[in-house]
Amino acid sequence: MDPHTVSRIKHLVRRRASLAIGTWVTTVVMLAIGLLMLLPFFWMISTSFKSPGEVFVFPIQWIPETFRLDHHQAVWVGEQSFVHYYYNSVKISVISTAGAVFLSALAAYGFARTSFLGRDIMFFLYLSIMMIPPQILFVPKFMMFNWLGIYNNHLALILPGMFTIFGVFLIRQFFMSIPHEISEAAFIDGAGHVRIFWQIIVPLAKPALATFAILDFSWNWNDYENALIFLIDKQLYTIPLGLQNYILEHNINYNGMMAAASAGILPIIILFLFTQRYIIQGVAQSAVKG
Amino acid sequence: MKFRFNTRQKLVGYMFVAPNVLGVTLFFLLPALYSFYLMFTDYSFLTKQSANFIGLENISRLMEDEAFHRSLKYTFIFLFTVPASIMVSFPIAFLLNAHVRMKKLLRSMYFLPYVMNGVAVAFVWMLLFEPNNGPINETLRMLGIANPPSWLASTTSSIYGVGIIHAWAMIGFNVIIYLAALQEVPSELMEASHIDGAKWWQTIRHVTLPLVSPTTFLLLVTGFIGAIKSFGIIQATTGGGPGDSTTVLSIFIYKTAFRYYDMGYASAASWALFTIILLIMVMNWLGQKRWVHY
Repeated sequence: MDPHTVSRIKHLVRRRASLAIGTWVTTVVMLAIGLLMLLPFFWMISTSFKSPGEVFVFPIQWIPETFRLDHHQAVWVGEQSFVHYYYNSVKISVISTAGAVFLSALAAYGFARTSFLGRDIMFFLYLSIMMIPPQILFVPKFMMFNWLGIYNNHLALILPGMFTIFGVFLIRQFFMSIPHEISEAAFIDGAGHVRIFWQIIVPLAKPALATFAILDFSWNWNDYENALIFLIDKQLYTIPLGLQNYILEHNINYNGMMAAASAGILPIIILFLFTQRYIIQGVAQSAVKG
Repeated sequence: MKFRFNTRQKLVGYMFVAPNVLGVTLFFLLPALYSFYLMFTDYSFLTKQSANFIGLENISRLMEDEAFHRSLKYTFIFLFTVPASIMVSFPIAFLLNAHVRMKKLLRSMYFLPYVMNGVAVAFVWMLLFEPNNGPINETLRMLGIANPPSWLASTTSSIYGVGIIHAWAMIGFNVIIYLAALQEVPSELMEASHIDGAKWWQTIRHVTLPLVSPTTFLLLVTGFIGAIKSFGIIQATTGGGPGDSTTVLSIFIYKTAFRYYDMGYASAASWALFTIILLIMVMNWLGQKRWVHY
């Protein structure tokens, strides 16, 4: 080998090694910044196990001297328990999400795979309606729900929750990407639209439906504005309202507050751990196309 | 092969969209139209009198209302959280996209705050921001800042406090969108720039940043709109206070409608909010070609 080639190979090897080291350095730095991003959550969890006197000890004592479980216990059992809020949140989120997925998929099929007079104008109108900020809708919805008799009732959250324009938009996008030959073949075999929707398109679109379902569930679970405006009675409170109410009733019980907050975000953390691929994909899609 | 639809199949299309169209009409379209009408009335839920048509009175009242003007000012300050959050997010996304191990884990770590319940997040930050003993101010004192701000407890700093929380929560979203864009940037371009002798920061400045500028623009526009509509984190941390120092437009509307039950006036304010969103969208539409270097 001539010296030139040797030095070239040496250079490449060195470059490789420095790249590998660089990779690990970057990874460690990014991990550190990532942990910094999550510090508020670690602080929350740590505080929920502390005694009241330890909350503001500085430098921060990340691992409490004695692990106290009583704050968490109070969240789950006893008269101030959150179980009831949990039940309300689960009920509202599950029904709204199930309804929204089904109704959005139906409409998405109509917009993507059937043709009717005024279809495109109607869809354009849909997109325009999507721009209306929720702030505009609160007052008229408040009056309408009063009039309908569903103010201070879970239906005030469930019924509007079943209709999302974004869902139609997202699922339609996916339906349009399914080749038309598939439905044409089924047509020739004598299947109608309903059967094609139910037996061919929906099974093919499972990933898109799952993405929307997970996103919609997390939005419903975290919904604070609608609950704040349309629910009055404590028995009807969802988790966000329950949390807010907690601070009003136990102003200075910081440990209890943090235990309650942990309980409030636990389901979303679990959901996120198992479905993060869908959530991240869905959020990315919603921004790029929305 | 061209497929022909018969009349029955055309009607089927309507049946598929009908339930959703009905709901959207009932819960979005009609309320929006009704709100537009309310803007020109003096409807108040307190007196429960039927609404009187008062023309443009609510709008001229908005023009003169100091509280409304202050809410616009707070909203404007709050909007700066958007570029701030984007500026933090780009380097994170850039490094995540470069040679990094455990990419998925890292991505999730940065994204997690975005999906969290606003009220729970608000709780934690309220304690972190505690002026006397809270960990943030203790840390600042340790770093030699003798009089750190009182954050959420003082009228002068509260808007920055809620701004920091909002910017923090948005980082995950911005990073995800930037990552998607960076994956589209061909690595050959970076290498070519490297071979031509460009320093890494020159490559970022002259290759990467211009290539992701449409994404930056998109994040600015969606971020501004999101910040204008943002409500939960502010309402849960400060409720618009102390005083009215965090009463941004969305809180102003909420207070006017559901604390003072001045619903005609609140409707007018909500259309002002919509007008601002429309202005941003028009600017987006006009500016897309001029500001995006591609």
